[in-house]
Amino acid sequence: MAEAFDSARHITIGQYMPGRSLIHQWDSRYKLAAFTLYIGAVAFCQSYAGNIAGLAISLFIVFLARIPIGYALKGLKPALPFLLILALLQLLFNGKVYANGQVYWQYGFIWLTEGGIRLVIVSTMRFVEMMLLVSVLTLTTTTTQLARAMHSLLRPLEKLKVPVHAFCMMITIALRFVPTFALEMDKIRKAQAARGASFGTIPWWRIIKRTQSVFPLIIPLFQLALQRAEQLIAAMESRGYRSHGRTSFRSFEARTADVLLLFVAVGAAYLLIWL
Amino acid sequence: MSSNPGIRKIVIAGVLGSIAILLGVTQLGFIPVPTAAGTVTIVHIPVIVGAVLEGWGVGTAIGLIFGVTSLLESTIPLFKDPLVAIVPRLFIGLIAYLIYAALKRKNEYIAIGAAGFIGSITNTVLVLTAAVLRNYLSLEVAVSVGLTNGIPEAIVSVIITTAVVAGWKKLTPSRKQKAKLLSEEVEG
Repeated sequence: MAEAFDSARHITIGQYMPGRSLIHQWDSRYKLAAFTLYIGAVAFCQSYAGNIAGLAISLFIVFLARIPIGYALKGLKPALPFLLILALLQLLFNGKVYANGQVYWQYGFIWLTEGGIRLVIVSTMRFVEMMLLVSVLTLTTTTTQLARAMHSLLRPLEKLKVPVHAFCMMITIALRFVPTFALEMDKIRKAQAARGASFGTIPWWRIIKRTQSVFPLIIPLFQLALQRAEQLIAAMESRGYRSHGRTSFRSFEARTADVLLLFVAVGAAYLLIWL
Repeated sequence: MSSNPGIRKIVIAGVLGSIAILLGVTQLGFIPVPTAAGTVTIVHIPVIVGAVLEGWGVGTAIGLIFGVTSLLESTIPLFKDPLVAIVPRLFIGLIAYLIYAALKRKNEYIAIGAAGFIGSITNTVLVLTAAVLRNYLSLEVAVSVGLTNGIPEAIVSVIITTAVVAGWKKLTPSRKQKAKLLSEEVEG
């Protein structure tokens, strides 16, 4: 029961873990470009072989970054029961929608098809890979580095009058607040449970009840988020924040190793698509 | 957005985008149901709230975050196509804002509720249209998903959007109102 209340704390997205590994020292511009490419390849990979390779490569990246594997996988724990339910529902009810390939078993509206089974296995593996990759990227890169890398990669768009800096600032804020709001959400959940709300005790098939149980969680979360936003606005205004004409103390210097690692990532992405 | 959008817009977009990511990653934003789509989503609600509070630019930016999150985190293959996952989501904020702006003068509460309803319907209709056009779903499956998922989603969206926006607007009076209150104080 207590497990249900600190689920959100396990989210590793948006946190930073200092270190001196290869992945930590990788120039953040090249790292961002490489991860974007590779994550894109994982997202589009539909085959078993590709996803097994993808899982192996993702685990190897976690190892390279010297992040304890248990820590990187922690983010999976809260999503696990949901994933299992979803997998079961997809397996039973989605077979007809993705009815390509052999039909193994059929009863009324329940179809067990090759396409349906592939969908469940591949999408579960892909979820694990994504979780690991996004966690590693944010665990080894500070949000400042990430924002500056994004800014320098998107700079060409500034010529088209796209507000690149504002956009990067927005992404930075969004990533920065994910762990904060996860903690806040746990607090709200405990507070509401103390007042008699029944989270986690409603069986999943009572859909309307489950939907209703979301309201006392989501609405206070929005209010808290908007309050935080007001504080941040005041802090930024009082420090004279401007979104243009900003300079930086550090400059990027790419070494050969940074570029080589990017090529390795392109190779890995190509491998996944090809498999 | 102008070339130098205000701090307020950047921060509100960032914070609500953060909620969209959180709802997507923890799967809290998806309520499992036994239909072809598998889940009813509430992740589009930050987009509508952002659009109503700060205009269509902010709504579109949060829509982009929502789209990318669903592209990366979704377990359903049809959302692995950027044309289905991202492009339709860019329009939620725009349409929700237009509805809100059109009805605001008549009644603020109705305007917020209508923005929540139509914004959610925009998401359902555009995503399913894109899915049919890209041959992921047949037309009849799309229509049944639209009815079984779209309507509950829209109802949930109306409740949450109204509760959040109405509650928040009461907490902080707009600058005009603040000025009015101040001037009344001075006069009084």
